[in-house]
Amino acid sequence: MTGTATQGAPVAPEPTEASTPVGRRAATALGRVARHAGVPVVLALAIGALVLAVTGNDPLEVYGRLLSEAFGTPSRINATLAATTPILFTAVAAAFAYRAGAFTVGVEGSFVLGGLTASVIGSQMADVPPVLSVLLPLLGATIAGGLVAVIPGILRAWWGVDEVVTTLMFNFIVTGLAGWSVQSFFLAKGQANSSTEYVTENAELPALAPPGQTSIGLVIGLVILIAYAVWMRYSTLGFEFRAVGSAPRFSAAQGLRVKTVLATALIGAGVIGGIGGGSHALGLVHRYSEGFSANFGFTGIAIALLARFNPIGILVGAILFGALNSAGATVQLFIDLPVQIIDVLQGTVMIFAVAVFTLPKLRRLRAARAEWKRP
Amino acid sequence: MSTARAERLPSSDPAAVRCRIGARGISRSFGPVRANVDVTLTVRPGTVHAVVGENGAGKSTLMRMLYGLDQPDAGSVIVDDEEILLSSPRAAIERRIGLVQQELAIIPELSLLENLVLGQEPGAFGRIDWKAAQKRAEELSRSVGVAIDWSASAARTSIAIQQQVEILRLVYRGADVLILDEPTAVLAPVQADELLGLLSSLRDAGRTVIFISHKLDEVLSIADHITVLRSGRTITELEPGEIDRAGLAAFIVGDSEMPNRPTTRGNPGTVVLHADAISAVDDRGVTRLDGVAFEARAGEILGIAAVAGNGQEELAEVLIGIRASSSGELSLDGQGIGRMSVRARRRAGLAYVSADRKQEGLALGLSLADNSIASPALKELARAGWLRPSAVAARVDAVLGRAAVRFGSASDPASSLSGGNQQRVVLGRETIGKPRVLIASQPTRGVDVKGIGYIHELLRRARDEGAAVVLFSEELDELRELSDRILVLHRGRVAGVLDGESSRAEIGELMLGHTSHASHDRPVEGEDA
Repeated sequence: MTGTATQGAPVAPEPTEASTPVGRRAATALGRVARHAGVPVVLALAIGALVLAVTGNDPLEVYGRLLSEAFGTPSRINATLAATTPILFTAVAAAFAYRAGAFTVGVEGSFVLGGLTASVIGSQMADVPPVLSVLLPLLGATIAGGLVAVIPGILRAWWGVDEVVTTLMFNFIVTGLAGWSVQSFFLAKGQANSSTEYVTENAELPALAPPGQTSIGLVIGLVILIAYAVWMRYSTLGFEFRAVGSAPRFSAAQGLRVKTVLATALIGAGVIGGIGGGSHALGLVHRYSEGFSANFGFTGIAIALLARFNPIGILVGAILFGALNSAGATVQLFIDLPVQIIDVLQGTVMIFAVAVFTLPKLRRLRAARAEWKRP
Repeated sequence: MSTARAERLPSSDPAAVRCRIGARGISRSFGPVRANVDVTLTVRPGTVHAVVGENGAGKSTLMRMLYGLDQPDAGSVIVDDEEILLSSPRAAIERRIGLVQQELAIIPELSLLENLVLGQEPGAFGRIDWKAAQKRAEELSRSVGVAIDWSASAARTSIAIQQQVEILRLVYRGADVLILDEPTAVLAPVQADELLGLLSSLRDAGRTVIFISHKLDEVLSIADHITVLRSGRTITELEPGEIDRAGLAAFIVGDSEMPNRPTTRGNPGTVVLHADAISAVDDRGVTRLDGVAFEARAGEILGIAAVAGNGQEELAEVLIGIRASSSGELSLDGQGIGRMSVRARRRAGLAYVSADRKQEGLALGLSLADNSIASPALKELARAGWLRPSAVAARVDAVLGRAAVRFGSASDPASSLSGGNQQRVVLGRETIGKPRVLIASQPTRGVDVKGIGYIHELLRRARDEGAAVVLFSEELDELRELSDRILVLHRGRVAGVLDGESSRAEIGELMLGHTSHASHDRPVEGEDA
């Protein structure tokens, strides 16, 4: 109960003297993110340790091995960053929409269609001059990713149709359409499984440190992350995003562009997701095949929530999940460990991320209901 | 099954106990803010005790501690002459202390009876004895002299009735001390009188009432004792017989800080806003405005008076464009604006102070700077879609300076300000652009005496700068003090337009629908839905 009481207390200004306001703001924001994000991660690791111990493993040994497999050598770091790249895009995409209070789950669909479009265009780039041979497929991915979100965006902004439902449904539609169109139109010759032709070599995003798999896609992702941060704080529409996300009735009464904000939020998330899918196709897998996205869109949601939409938090979260993915894939070479334990860890972090996210609301609710309690 | 508990008579013998509930030397700080400093309060059993003070004087902090929602840093809570630790509301409820907060805990989907007994239903083995519940409810309302239709749905009853039910629920659960935080802030004058009557009968039945109020007249009329808090300290304890309204106000604001209130009138010019035959329905589809017509002139304040629920909220919303009108014409300087969006109306020169400061007036989670610039005029502060930091900073200074907002840093969240200061931010923002029409809905609701003076000053200033101010208020004295003309709404129609200097009685007659040749209608309580 004392916790709820102090929550209502006025916020004291931070007594740092030497630092600039911007520096101070960044520092307090970072501290907040670390506090919020740290709790779910530590809780998840604790539960993971419990599961490991119950299944007869030594948690410390497994965690140590995971750490060294994620960051132990330059080549392992490279693998981790390669796994970070797609979820960096999807996390920024989700955060972009959530800032405006639009809870899209459709980034997955945009990522898939962006990947397919980039693969199909990329496979036709043999006679196209360099640079353009990369830009054209990426442009296609951008448009495709945005298109997936156009209908949910319009339905939400102008008719108030719940975006969770529409974007979820569009994921199914897009995944189905993608599979069908690959089978019907884009199937690579001589391939048993359903995948497209490989993209031409000049359409590939170059690796940052060959033979490592991390590509220029990571740089594109970082640029988008920075653009997201700057745009939210300093642009007019970014301001309106924050206002609509934090106080929708206020924004309507102030005559802010609520509909534009909601439509832009959903379509913009699709665009970023589409670029992510395109980068993933051109930078890592070089074609589109069944199972192109390992639920990257949903991992992005967890990261965005874990980071409270803070740009640095998003980067750290994406690396954390990237590390779990890359290390989880190889750690079984050394330890007899069910691969599902990695899924358990990821899932637990996600659950706690969402749980901690809603905790303040629950506390307030509990305080309000305190007097309902039977004496 | 626990009705026995509820029926138990007050156990404390009024003669034996001197202080039923109170505080001894309580201090409580939140960071650098000292909300309570050595506060002492003695509430005698069977009395009504008023606690008055400015916003931020520490009244709510004290009440939270008396109800166990918060604990003092030093000093202690007194219950029945005994220093005790109220560690939680549960502990307070065990000592038969109940709190009615400003936001009512009424569940709209349930009936009033269900709301009353919720959590402590009579009956046994999971079966609720509704007959017994109904009987108990009727006894309860009869014993305190209020008429309540217990079978009515909570959603369809007025806030005044909901509040009475909430109070009776505490009594039903055996509360003997009732703490009320600004219970009349949201009530119309008639409803407030009814509530004060209810509190008196609870006192006469031996119960103890503590209530916070900014309305000094009602404090003086009902309280047995008055404690004045200022800047977190107990200033004095008085009895109503010892002091008049002005004297009490002086205690509240301290020394000679009473704002000087010029009673200047406006200088009405040309017609700016013209409304013709406006009709509108509320969210449930019930007609709330029925052919309202009026005009507002530049340089005047047009007051709108009505008993709560007679269409004034809907009219304010229709004017700014948050609510669509079902028919009628609205024009600004002769140009039709009835089909325009809020954004277009604001661009055309409308400004709006919402009655719902927390949800519509401000974005409490955003900074003061963000709150100062949020409007369609944002464009003026930007170049090619990017905000110019220098222009933003200048606008923020202008808004906060215009309204003399007391704040720490412009990057602090709006929620860190007191209610009165928050409202100044709103008024500063809404008047900075020299609007043609300022729609101000309940601008002084929940604001203390001194804060009200500043807000009135800002409204007059907007008027003198040439705005047509449409002022919606439930405070008749406020309307009479500020308005050049007062339009009275009754059941969604214009009951009459009076001179700003009309008496309370004249306005009150029209508010109740008593026009010269009309039949004697009863005031709307919201049950006509």
